[in-house]
Amino acid sequence: MSNTQWTITVGEGSCGIAAGAPEVTELLKKRLPDAQFKSVGCVGMCHREVMVETVDDQGRSYLWGNLTKKNLPKVIQFLRGDGVLPKTLLIRSSEEPDCEGGHYLTRQTRIALRNVGQLNPTSMAQYLDRGGYDAIKKIITSGMTPEAVIEEVKIAKIRGRGGAGFPTATKWGFARNAPGDVKYLVCNGDEGDPGAFMDRSLLEGDPHNVLEGMLIAAYAIGASKGYAYIRAEYPLAVQYFGQAIQDAREAGYLGYHILGSDFSFDIKIKEGAGAFVCGEETALMASIQGERGMPRIRPPFPAISGLFGKPTIINNVETLANLPWIIQNGGAAYAAIGTEKSSGTKVFALAGAIARGGLVEVPMGVTIRHVLENIGGGSASTRPLKAVQLGGPSGGCIPERLFDTPIEYEAINATGAIMGSGGMVVMDSKSCMVDLARYFLEFTENESCGKCTFCRIGTLRMKEILTRICAGEGTMEDIDLLEDLGRSVQSASLCGLGQTAANPVLTTIKYFRDEYIAHVQEKRCPGGVCKGLITHTILNDKCSGCSICERYCPVNAITGTLKHPDTWVIDPKICINCGMCAEVCNPDAILAA
Amino acid sequence: MNLQNMEATVDPELVHHWITAIGSDSSAAVPILQAIQGHYGYLPRKAMDLVVAQTGINASQLYGVATFYAQFRLKPVGRHMIKVCHGTACHVQGADRLNTSLRHALGISNPEQDTASNGSYTVENVACIGCCSLAPVMVIDGQAFPNVKGADAQRQLFKHARENNEILAGQDAEN
Ligand SMILES: Cc1cc2nc3c(=O)[nH]c(=O)nc-3n(C[C@H](O)[C@H](O)[C@H](O)COP(=O)(O)O)c2cc1C
Ligand code: FES
Repeated sequence: MSNTQWTITVGEGSCGIAAGAPEVTELLKKRLPDAQFKSVGCVGMCHREVMVETVDDQGRSYLWGNLTKKNLPKVIQFLRGDGVLPKTLLIRSSEEPDCEGGHYLTRQTRIALRNVGQLNPTSMAQYLDRGGYDAIKKIITSGMTPEAVIEEVKIAKIRGRGGAGFPTATKWGFARNAPGDVKYLVCNGDEGDPGAFMDRSLLEGDPHNVLEGMLIAAYAIGASKGYAYIRAEYPLAVQYFGQAIQDAREAGYLGYHILGSDFSFDIKIKEGAGAFVCGEETALMASIQGERGMPRIRPPFPAISGLFGKPTIINNVETLANLPWIIQNGGAAYAAIGTEKSSGTKVFALAGAIARGGLVEVPMGVTIRHVLENIGGGSASTRPLKAVQLGGPSGGCIPERLFDTPIEYEAINATGAIMGSGGMVVMDSKSCMVDLARYFLEFTENESCGKCTFCRIGTLRMKEILTRICAGEGTMEDIDLLEDLGRSVQSASLCGLGQTAANPVLTTIKYFRDEYIAHVQEKRCPGGVCKGLITHTILNDKCSGCSICERYCPVNAITGTLKHPDTWVIDPKICINCGMCAEVCNPDAILAA
Repeated sequence: MNLQNMEATVDPELVHHWITAIGSDSSAAVPILQAIQGHYGYLPRKAMDLVVAQTGINASQLYGVATFYAQFRLKPVGRHMIKVCHGTACHVQGADRLNTSLRHALGISNPEQDTASNGSYTVENVACIGCCSLAPVMVIDGQAFPNVKGADAQRQLFKHARENNEILAGQDAEN
């Protein structure tokens, strides 16, 4: 047995913990008592959690993935010097950095995420080691004026990453010039888009970076108070960000006279309470004030009259996370990345039918295909990819034939989708676009605050029509009606929720009208998803007669004799088409069509 | 068992403590409710009345807030909470089947109901938990389970019930 000294880094973001990181760490600590341990946030390869990196005293490194208590002994043996390299668990090593697994990380440009997965989010010392708080120090010690900070951000040409893409410097300018001695800076960590988790990873994986971004923004607009509005579904983010605030305060980076200057700023955390609309600026402010999160008409814009009637700037987590880098490296360096109109990088959360789901940060201007295929590794199954849903409920579906669209605000908008905050849910032929549209409409109808009639009733009617189509009771007129209604809701709603609610419907009709027609005319769901249009049958020639489907059927619709494949049947009168049987069947003997 | 019997006994001292710690102006409404729900699992009427009596927040604001946000519940919950993610990624990966199998195991057949009749578990749907690349995801008492298919959901529930001495009312698919 060798006595190599290992430094072991374990990814312990929410996803790592969910996948079992704590028990993996425990076992490693027991078997390798001399190793040095380090806990970090999620590096973004969520599909390979639990992930562990081991580095020896000569700098040789191995990145392991998919670790479980069961397969861990093989890795431990190798690390202890006896045993072969367990190749299937290795993502990359210092000897072979540009391998298939390594591509995921080497093909990214990391600015916002530069520390995520590299440091312990609860250690301020590690953030300082990586140049943390240097940006705010630079601003204060070099006597940069707030105007100079705004100018630097203007040169960077960064646009808000919360979805709408409004130029950050322009917005700040309004608040800077607004009269008033109390101003607020709010970090929008609501991340209500289902299917998106960029903001979680940033708050959880590198909280000081977001906090430093808030300091820079507050300095630029002249804010003395700040709020971080973080959704309650992210308990670890709330905890780590709270810890970061406390540590920064003790170190003199928050509070009165920061670093001995005239600049004073402090932050409070407000937890969201599960309302999607609270991500909208005016609703978010109402929520912080302890009211129902209802949006209000603008103007007045928050930058002039916002929280408690004071000038307020609300910035997305990712926008803030880019600021320290911009100040450190200069706006021009940032503007040099990406394209003319969309500068810098964008973080995406890849999920769904993709081989390598997780977080990716790429320069703007690369194509959707590059992200999905070169980084995401393409389809998770043998089925080809069909579409990608971008921008959540406010977004739309982009079909495969438009995957060469560059990632740029205007180019994405031209497809009918939006850049949104960065959730990418990938779909293959086993998904149904009509069901997806129905899903989103159910979401927006649920989340509509109800203040405007078009949003409240319009989304409800659209959902009803879609539900009808999914049940096989739709008509061709319904499809036209959906388009009509969609446009009306779009134009007559008060806030972005209603204004964008129709996007998933309009884009799926535009690009997948054939699927709508199949539902309406042929009473068929091509994806095999819509319960009212499919039946489950047992393919007896594939069946092994194991009876597992019988055991899991919640309504006892399946009967047969053990080990007699030819006897197994599903009673269509009882079956609710829940799909449990197909899911548990090992020989793939159940057909849903 | 009648779910009415599950009403919690409210400790006025505790409510008073939260109010002093959080504040009593109107912006404290959401965090105070979060503290109450964090402790009791829902918002007992008695606790709400105490808040109205002891703060500047009036009943219409407090109830308005409590009914607006998805997080808040006015009905008692089971001893354990199961949250099933219904975010986009989980939806397309079959989150619905988790509900089917969990409700089946818990014997909850009435679609209006979300708590097992013996008060053991409550099954709640939530929007994205933020672990989308591990979809479908569910959370039992704060612990997240990744890549759970319908059948795995039952298995995790059985395991949890065994460890917590809970009896499941539904048909036991393990047998
Ligand atoms: C219904 C709705 C939900 C929104 N949700 C979020 C959100 O979860 N996070 C976010 O940063 N912005 C969200 N936004 C956008 C914000 O209103 C706002 O534009 C953004 O936080 C501004 O920050 P930025 O300029 O840094 O992008 C939402 C907007 C609407 C209309
Ligand atoms: S969609 Fe379920 S965790 Fe995000």
